[in-house]
Amino acid sequence: MKPLVLVPLHLFLLAGLAAAAEPQRPAPGPGPLETSCVQCHRDLDGELLEPTKHTGDDIHFLKGLSCHDCHGGNPAAGMDGDPTAAHDTSRGWTGKPSRKVIPAFCAKCHADAVYMKRFDPHARVDQLSEYRTSVHGKKNAEGDERAAVCVDCHGVHGIRAISDPRSRVYPTNVADTCAACHAKPEIMGRYFIPTDQYAEYRRSVHARALYEKRDISAPTCNDCHGSHGAVPPGVDNVASVCGSCHGREATLFKETEAKRNLDLSACIQCMVCHSNHAVLPPTDAMLGVGPESTCTGCHDKGEPEYEAAAKMAAGLGRLTQLEAEAQQLLDRAAQAGMEVGPDRFALRKARDQIVETRVLGHGFDLDRFLAAANEGIAAAEAGVTAGQHAFAELRTRRIGLALSLLVIVVVIVLLAQKIRQIEARKTERMG
Amino acid sequence: MSDGLPSRAARLRAWLEERVPVAPLLAVAREKRVPLHRHTIWYYLGGMTLFLFGIQVATGILLLLYYRPSAGEAFESVQFIMTKVPFGWLIRSIHSWSANLLVLVAFTHMFSVFFLKAYRKPREITWVSGALLLGLMMAFGFSGYLLPWNTLAFFATQVGTEVAGKLPVIGHFALRLLRGGDQVTGGTLTRFYGFHVAVLPAIATVLVGLHLVLVQQHGMSVPPGVAAAGKSRGEPGRTMPFLPNFLLRDLIGWCAALGALAALAAIFPWELGEKADPFAPAPAGIRPEWYFCWMFQSLKVMPNLPMGIEGELVVILGIGAAGLLWLLVPFIDRQAETATGGGVGRIMVLAGWMALAYMAVMTLWVYVAPGGPG
Repeated sequence: MKPLVLVPLHLFLLAGLAAAAEPQRPAPGPGPLETSCVQCHRDLDGELLEPTKHTGDDIHFLKGLSCHDCHGGNPAAGMDGDPTAAHDTSRGWTGKPSRKVIPAFCAKCHADAVYMKRFDPHARVDQLSEYRTSVHGKKNAEGDERAAVCVDCHGVHGIRAISDPRSRVYPTNVADTCAACHAKPEIMGRYFIPTDQYAEYRRSVHARALYEKRDISAPTCNDCHGSHGAVPPGVDNVASVCGSCHGREATLFKETEAKRNLDLSACIQCMVCHSNHAVLPPTDAMLGVGPESTCTGCHDKGEPEYEAAAKMAAGLGRLTQLEAEAQQLLDRAAQAGMEVGPDRFALRKARDQIVETRVLGHGFDLDRFLAAANEGIAAAEAGVTAGQHAFAELRTRRIGLALSLLVIVVVIVLLAQKIRQIEARKTERMG
Repeated sequence: MSDGLPSRAARLRAWLEERVPVAPLLAVAREKRVPLHRHTIWYYLGGMTLFLFGIQVATGILLLLYYRPSAGEAFESVQFIMTKVPFGWLIRSIHSWSANLLVLVAFTHMFSVFFLKAYRKPREITWVSGALLLGLMMAFGFSGYLLPWNTLAFFATQVGTEVAGKLPVIGHFALRLLRGGDQVTGGTLTRFYGFHVAVLPAIATVLVGLHLVLVQQHGMSVPPGVAAAGKSRGEPGRTMPFLPNFLLRDLIGWCAALGALAALAAIFPWELGEKADPFAPAPAGIRPEWYFCWMFQSLKVMPNLPMGIEGELVVILGIGAAGLLWLLVPFIDRQAETATGGGVGRIMVLAGWMALAYMAVMTLWVYVAPGGPG
């Protein structure tokens, strides 16, 4: 019989053996919100407290990163309130980076393809190299502390994913983000940059599409100027920038240059007629020699270009007027019950030619323009004729109906008389 | 005929009479008399239904000359009829308007027969054949609705055939039989065309023939109340000759109907709409023809019952049972001979009014509900 006093010893040995059998695991670090950084800064004030307010919506925190992943230091140390151990320079603690180094600071991760692909296989990693080509980047490299760096557009803490509608760089917010500096004379004044771009943009057809139609594919600042390589489009490449969306117009424009062996970049570019930031909805009145014409800004009466513009405007005007007339006639005929489906379908050709002709205006080729316009005019005239035929047919139907009803009424009257005759004869016989 | 020889025309008539003896039929027709009383007006509805049916046959045959029963060509062929074929618009519009008038007149005819108790002995089979004919007319309407292959027709057929799919036991079979597959496709169109121009007309020919023969044999029924009143006064009921008095009056009605059809077709030509696109979402306001609306609305508003019983199934079975009872009316109302009709008769009349009110309210509901056709 074993003495009872030995039992605790056995238990202790068994527990020791069991512990020895378990594999050794590395001690896990604190979670993103459990780091000494978060724990201490939560109790601080002012700008030292600020970063901890955004841990719930910052994309980095949501991806499992924490303060030390950017700022370095030891997140497990200093839980007792002593910042020295946490602010461990041997572990890369940098504190708040200066504005000059911020691009490189962010690029530690964002330019690292291997690291970034852990979070998003399609993540781009060229932002820093693009930034270095931009005016912002060049000024930053020169040591201009006021030049925009990453945090000016994306925010410091509380950075959201670009797909988040609340992000400062979400399409509907980009213009406001840029305007935060570019609409302020006190900032832009020293660089001699105008500050009316934002106000102009808000009047534009692009802004209308973006803000009124909520079409986030509509262009905002970065779609023309680039996101990180923000370079103002020079006069020589405006057509290329606009042409990245308006491809057909840009091709026609370039074809004209090639065909006529001209360099139009110095005198004509998209913005001469359409403006740059205040790209207003184009109208047919912009073409021609009328009061709203943009052609007369460069071409005077007597010049062949002036005459060509007048002919183009006349062709397009006739086409749109005939197409509208045909459309109206066919609509009215359809409302009156006439089947005009095939005619409406054929009229689409005129509509297509209006679009085609408007685009061809960018080629400055009068013959080609008028050929397209005439094709549409022929289709529109066919539509007008079809509409007129429909109304003529409607009148014929009404006349036919009136005559038929007349015949039917006469037959009814005759039948009624016949009945009366028969029944009168019978009464006579009976009488 | 001064020489005493018959004229050429008289000889031709005699020749024809010998081979196609029409005289005995004419003699019977001349003997036929139509009762005259305050309800005589309802007798004209049968002839009117027959006239409209004739219009349908005639215009239908004309439409057949151009119509092409395939998903790729049906819409275009109807569009061709409406725009290019001389008077094609008139023929198609009359066919469509006449179809609707036909169902309306047939419904009215049936309810008039019901309330005048004209179904009583020995006219039970006349009633049954008439009720079946009304169902047949609705089947004509349902199958014909799809034939232009436009969007409304396509989705209405989808909904309508789905109802058949809800039938217990035979539902899936019925659905596939109607659609020619699991979905409404070009195959369904060809099938409906087959029903519309061959199967249904064949059945209709038999039933119309039977119905007409029975009507001629039994003559017009005098409502029990009118007959009893005449008997109590000891007077024989007043009548008028069918040929020519009643027939001439019929002709006046038919001429008026023809005028109404011409006016409707000329002022409101039957619209064609947009070609069906099976991949497009169903447009808002899908509904069947007006005469199916009461069933459609019943299916729509009936909630599911406890114990997992589907509301739609209850409605389908309810309508089926009501239809069967309607068909058997002459065999249920055995006391119809009496002037008062007895207890069962009074219940029958009440049920008839309730059925009529139910159908009217449900149909109106479809037209006045928000988002409805009205």
